[in-house]
Amino acid sequence: MNERVAITGVGLVTPIGVGADAFAEALFAGRSGIGHVTAFRCEGLETRIAGEVHDFDPVRWVDPPKTAKLLSRAAAFAMAAASMARSMSGLSPDHVAPQRIGVSIGAGGMGPTDIELLALQAEAVIDSARDIGADRFDVPAFARRYRAATNPLAMLKGLPNCAAAHVAIQQGARGPNNTLATACSAGTQAIGEGLRQIQRGDADVVFAGGTDAAVNPVSILGFSLLGTLSRRNEVPGAASRPFDRDRDGFVVGEGAAMLVLERESVARARGATVLAELAGYGVTCDAYRITDERPDAGEAARAIRLCLEDGGATASDVGYINAHGTGTHMNDIVETRAIRQALGTAADSVGVSSTKSMIGHLLAAAGAVELVAAVLALRRGLLPPTINLDTPDPECDLDYTPWVARPRHLDAALSNSFGFGGQNACLLVRGW
Amino acid sequence: MDDLATLVRRLVAETLVVDAERVGPDTALMAELGAESIDFLDLVFRLEEELGVAIPFDRWSRYLANRFPAQPVEQRLTASVVKEFAETMLQEAAGSVPPRDTLDGARDST
Repeated sequence: MNERVAITGVGLVTPIGVGADAFAEALFAGRSGIGHVTAFRCEGLETRIAGEVHDFDPVRWVDPPKTAKLLSRAAAFAMAAASMARSMSGLSPDHVAPQRIGVSIGAGGMGPTDIELLALQAEAVIDSARDIGADRFDVPAFARRYRAATNPLAMLKGLPNCAAAHVAIQQGARGPNNTLATACSAGTQAIGEGLRQIQRGDADVVFAGGTDAAVNPVSILGFSLLGTLSRRNEVPGAASRPFDRDRDGFVVGEGAAMLVLERESVARARGATVLAELAGYGVTCDAYRITDERPDAGEAARAIRLCLEDGGATASDVGYINAHGTGTHMNDIVETRAIRQALGTAADSVGVSSTKSMIGHLLAAAGAVELVAAVLALRRGLLPPTINLDTPDPECDLDYTPWVARPRHLDAALSNSFGFGGQNACLLVRGW
Repeated sequence: MDDLATLVRRLVAETLVVDAERVGPDTALMAELGAESIDFLDLVFRLEEELGVAIPFDRWSRYLANRFPAQPVEQRLTASVVKEFAETMLQEAAGSVPPRDTLDGARDST
């Protein structure tokens, strides 16, 4: 008999709130966290809106304080979220050996895109051109300027695994330490792989989640050039409109969510309060085109079916799906097809919503934040809404919970994530 | 050289994010204040900026190897050692000591 895996703590840093209580309040009230970008000046950019985390002070979450200078914004988010999750779980060092604690984090591009480092590099380019009296990029001249102006520690902010490494130091987690870099499905896959770490016996407790901080000029411009971002700059709160006929792309957000996953016997032995069971995980890859999804949604649907099978659930057990729901034409239609294929007739009665309508797209953190939204829905018996959904796209014909949260008793819920590159991932949570 | 001692104390405090009162001349920066190897890279970078001298990237590690041959530095690395390093860097920059590689050939006996 396989032991179940419990979720015993969650921590969040999001554009709609820091901490589970603030997050839940905004989530069920349908409040948008999207606004005009304040992190940098963006006159002239096609997209000037994002979901930012305001007033975040990394020093509050780290010990010793000098750790803060090593952190990218994304790593700091992850540490804050892990700290909150631990605190909620009540897990103490007496309950589990450090060697039995793992970390599994979905992460995106880190330090090199933090705006301070960008500015430093840009100044070194400008100064180096001046040094050689030329208006071109010269690597040796740049290297001299960069070397003189750059703190050696800057490199450490850019390592993609730095969030997972700092969480391990903070939490005393000496077990398996994994970082997944699978773009927009990374958070979901990190939690799924964390589940597997416990199931295969490599760890008893795993800090699992995702983190990303892409509100910087390079990432905003990059997604903008790919044609994926909303340009509704005038009314930021109305910009993220998944499944709506008038949507025009997603809105970048930043933040993190971390969960404490715990082997059933460990959670029981210490009398932990269990929020939900992490019951299933399914993952596939389209192996099709780098950003296009398979129009038949076959592999996305298979990820959902695998997840249900893995969790020993049937389609009719699922009362809520937190959709990937980015608000791009392709995602909304293909995801709708995938849900219909995977759930069959049960798709007509399932409650669906895209909380990205409020939070924005947190990229590598998205799946983690959204799984927490599904856990909260399960606990409260309340479906979070899809705000801004005025006129559903004719090809989007599920019940997307428009605008207002709706009460519904839930036995189980799913959370979908799909990433550039073709990864399709799905998680199942169930009442304990 | 009181000014230099004060500067080093301030930079050590900034690097390790501790109150300057905790940084005495004989405070062991690793054992007592939790410094790790990369903090000294940070500290040397700050010294370089404050003193206005260019310090080669491996100068600190060579200095330490020379100063504490085959000895663990956990307890020995104090603010005074950093101040001596800073003095040496100023002297080298002023050309009042032999070139670095020659200097490293002769180990001192501390």
